[in-house]
Amino acid sequence: MTITIQNQTFILHPSGALFWKTRKLLLISDVHLGKVSHFRKHGVAIPNNVVSENFKRLTEIVENFKPEKIIFLGDLFHSSKNKEWDLFEKWVECCTNTIILISGNHDIIDKKHYNQLDIDVLESLEIDSFLLTHHPTIKEGFFNFSGHIHPGIMLRGSGAQSLKLPCFFQKENQMILAAFGEFTGKHILKPQQNDIVYAIANDEVIKIKLN
Amino acid sequence: MNREQLFSVANDWFENQGWKPFPFQTQAWTAFLQGKNGLLNAPTGSGKTYALWLPIVLNYIKNNPDYKTKHKPGLKAIWITPLRSLSVEIKQAAERVVNDLETQMTVGIRSGDTSASERVKQKGKMPDLLVTTPESLQLLLATKGYDKIFGNCTAIVIDEWHELLGTKRGVQTELALSRLKTIAPKMRIWGISATIGNLQQAQEVLLGVDSEAYNNSVLIKAQIHKKIKVISIIPDKMETYPWRGHMGLHLIDEVAKIIKASKTTLIFTNVRSACEIWFQRLLEKYPEFAGEMAMHHGSINRETRLWVEQAIRDEELKVVVCTSSLDLGVDFAPVETIIQVGGPKGVARFLQRAGRSGHQPGKESVIYFLATHAIELIEASALKKAVENNVIEDRVPYLNSWDVLVQYLNTLAVSDGFLPDEIFKEVKGTFCYQAITEENWNWILNFISNGSQSLQAYDEYKKVEIEEDGRFKINSRLIAMHHRMQIGTIVGDAVVNVKFMSGGYIGTIEEWFVSKLKPGDTFIFAGKQLELFRIRNMQVLVRKANPKKKSKVVSWMGGRMALSAQMSELLRHELYRANTDDLSPELKALQPLFARQRKESIVPGDDQFLIETFKTREGYHAIFYPFEGRFVHEALASLLAYRISLLLPISFSLAYNDYGFELLSDQEIDMQNVLDNNLFSTEYVHHDLQKSLNATEMARRKFRDIAVIAGLVFTGFPGKMVKTKHLQSGSQLLFEVFRDYEPDNLLFQQAYRETFEHQLEEGRLIMALERINNQEIIWKPCLKPTPFSFPLITDRLREKLSSETLAERIKKMTASYMK
Repeated sequence: MTITIQNQTFILHPSGALFWKTRKLLLISDVHLGKVSHFRKHGVAIPNNVVSENFKRLTEIVENFKPEKIIFLGDLFHSSKNKEWDLFEKWVECCTNTIILISGNHDIIDKKHYNQLDIDVLESLEIDSFLLTHHPTIKEGFFNFSGHIHPGIMLRGSGAQSLKLPCFFQKENQMILAAFGEFTGKHILKPQQNDIVYAIANDEVIKIKLN
Repeated sequence: MNREQLFSVANDWFENQGWKPFPFQTQAWTAFLQGKNGLLNAPTGSGKTYALWLPIVLNYIKNNPDYKTKHKPGLKAIWITPLRSLSVEIKQAAERVVNDLETQMTVGIRSGDTSASERVKQKGKMPDLLVTTPESLQLLLATKGYDKIFGNCTAIVIDEWHELLGTKRGVQTELALSRLKTIAPKMRIWGISATIGNLQQAQEVLLGVDSEAYNNSVLIKAQIHKKIKVISIIPDKMETYPWRGHMGLHLIDEVAKIIKASKTTLIFTNVRSACEIWFQRLLEKYPEFAGEMAMHHGSINRETRLWVEQAIRDEELKVVVCTSSLDLGVDFAPVETIIQVGGPKGVARFLQRAGRSGHQPGKESVIYFLATHAIELIEASALKKAVENNVIEDRVPYLNSWDVLVQYLNTLAVSDGFLPDEIFKEVKGTFCYQAITEENWNWILNFISNGSQSLQAYDEYKKVEIEEDGRFKINSRLIAMHHRMQIGTIVGDAVVNVKFMSGGYIGTIEEWFVSKLKPGDTFIFAGKQLELFRIRNMQVLVRKANPKKKSKVVSWMGGRMALSAQMSELLRHELYRANTDDLSPELKALQPLFARQRKESIVPGDDQFLIETFKTREGYHAIFYPFEGRFVHEALASLLAYRISLLLPISFSLAYNDYGFELLSDQEIDMQNVLDNNLFSTEYVHHDLQKSLNATEMARRKFRDIAVIAGLVFTGFPGKMVKTKHLQSGSQLLFEVFRDYEPDNLLFQQAYRETFEHQLEEGRLIMALERINNQEIIWKPCLKPTPFSFPLITDRLREKLSSETLAERIKKMTASYMK
């Protein structure tokens, strides 16, 4: 799904990633790496192949768009450092792109570990009139890209049909990205009249009709 | 003392109470003193407690001739009760015996209500007789050196075994017994059960399949017959009887008349919210009941409940509105009348409730049945038949509940650790796990020790560790603590405590209900009108609300009950009688409704299977009437929807009740096509159901409980703040992860198996299909909804099934924005 905001072209990808075509930037939010390992370390047996799936999807999306920069919009890691960090290090080594992390509430791993991997950690980032943050933020004169919410949408149809899907959630000066990570869940939002909702339906992104 | 002398001690004691022992009591004494195990089939209020407390004490006297002067310390007997509210009565009964016989024995209670300090004291010095719950027994097994606690125990009694059988608490009890058999070799195992269809099996489940304990056991039946009279409350004017179920409040005046004419009345409702509403309405319409009226259900705080129970005994109350929370346990002699609001769905439950009244010897029990909607009156008619013919349901025990086994093994690992070979033999000896294979066992061991079936280099899974001597043990104190907090197999919705700002605990309500409230909103709970002040730390602080403000009544999730197989059959037979002249008062009263039904459609006879189709604003409705009970209809609806969806891309929403089911779609269903394609075939039922289940959500819901019981979802203490937020995840999310990444996981598969065996009742489903195939199918295209269809089409709790692609479905749907 290709959309235009302030004359810039963006691609909404069904993985939850957003590609800023004009600038070749790949925005990814809420991967929550290490979440599965964190649970397992505490004796909760989540299937551990979910771990490799996250990295596989990251590799695929980067190969697909070949961005110049990858910007993570926070909650890259779920909790403190665990062995998934080693996998992340390996992934970063293979990945030749510049990586920036806008830190989120879950990002409690010390900056210096990221810096050792040549990853800059920022609170927020302004590019032209676009503001990149983890928490949805309103700033005069800026269009905001953020994550944090893990937005989802509830659809209804005739014959008493209903569906809940993850989505990209766009407000007047704001776009909240879907969560990229596996095993992260979603939070159902109720749109307002002028909001735009792009739902993720397996391998498609579909604009939702509001009524 | 020899047995004769012991018996005279017991008989003397009975005589001093002014009682005479029943044959079943002396039979139990004899069997117990002979060292036998057994199952005692006796109803509440029959003196069953003394049938077993007495021989336990007599046995102690026998083995300790100087019992009056020298006390031998240590645990001697355990009494398990499923309801901790009953433990006080049971303790009092035991105390009466041990004190009167001057034995110096002590009696203690250990349950969720026991204080931490009391528990520590007990650990140092166990009471001689311990009254406890299945969960607290597991917690004792999670204690270091637990084998020493039980070493000299001579008896364990499982009270109300019929309530545990057919639940995972029963499985939990089976496992605990399997361990106790080894560490307390002198222990006799006894169960007490109300009448159920499968008593023999209940005995086998309790004692273990073909076990030494079973071979040395007896089944004792208390032959107590009680007369029960069932009366339907039928208004003079049937025209106003509602077509769809609500609360039955249209009959409130009739109910008030019954209350006024009787000393004490218990009104049973099926769910807690109905209990709240009935209480409220009665009070509004009949303020004169104030002060003599109370409410009793499981979410009200314990002190209030105990007060209500005592007040019934003291004859201070005229009427109590209650739920199943008053089904069990102690006697309420003053209760004269029972009113059942809504179908009780099972004969056993109905009889249990009826038995709550008329305790004076020779007096018959009277129970009034209040149908909340018209068709339910047929149920009343069927219930009368059931009471006449003494029809009682089975309680079907669980098999291969891996979730409970995982929890149990973790429990053993928390205490002293366990050696797999030793425990495997014990587990395989239980009824639940009689068919467990080495392969299953190894899977479970891998699951608790590696968190998977293969070791991976970067994995840091940590729970059960394997010691050098091969012992499986949990060493992390944090993990051990988490596990202890989670022991139990009752999974409810998350609850929060409700408290007055000024202090004073009212009870618990479910989190989802709270989430719909904001400060200032008012709601009715425990018969009080409350205003929400704030929510903090899993506590809802409230104050008394302005009575003029409009309030919501608290409601609870909780499963809907389904008609048992026995009830469904009776119901069908009653309905078929509607086309004859042989009419019960209920069927007579329903004549106006049948007339309306016949105008648009038919009232089916025993050789007819009715299908109705019509269109409304909501879409195209197809209604099917097998009259097989909710669970079977759930399965049939899924099956049929799936089979139709193979013929063309279509989306359905499904609804079902005890009488029939509905397939609703935005497209018209070609019913002739359905009939021509023989879609009611019994071939490939299992395969088709499995496929259709993928699309529906039943297994997902089953998985919720399994995930909690197996420790995959951390819930923390009920009503207390979970500090480990970062370890929380929804079971929904877990279900998806397992489906996508580990579909061969035994716990995941268990969700499907339970769906088939306990929810969909595959066996009953096939029988229903065979019956339908022998009936004439009558398809009635109608112009508007019929009286029979009305409760179905207005049901909002629905399942979905679709063979359209996600994109196709989304195109036809919209999200509504905030207005």
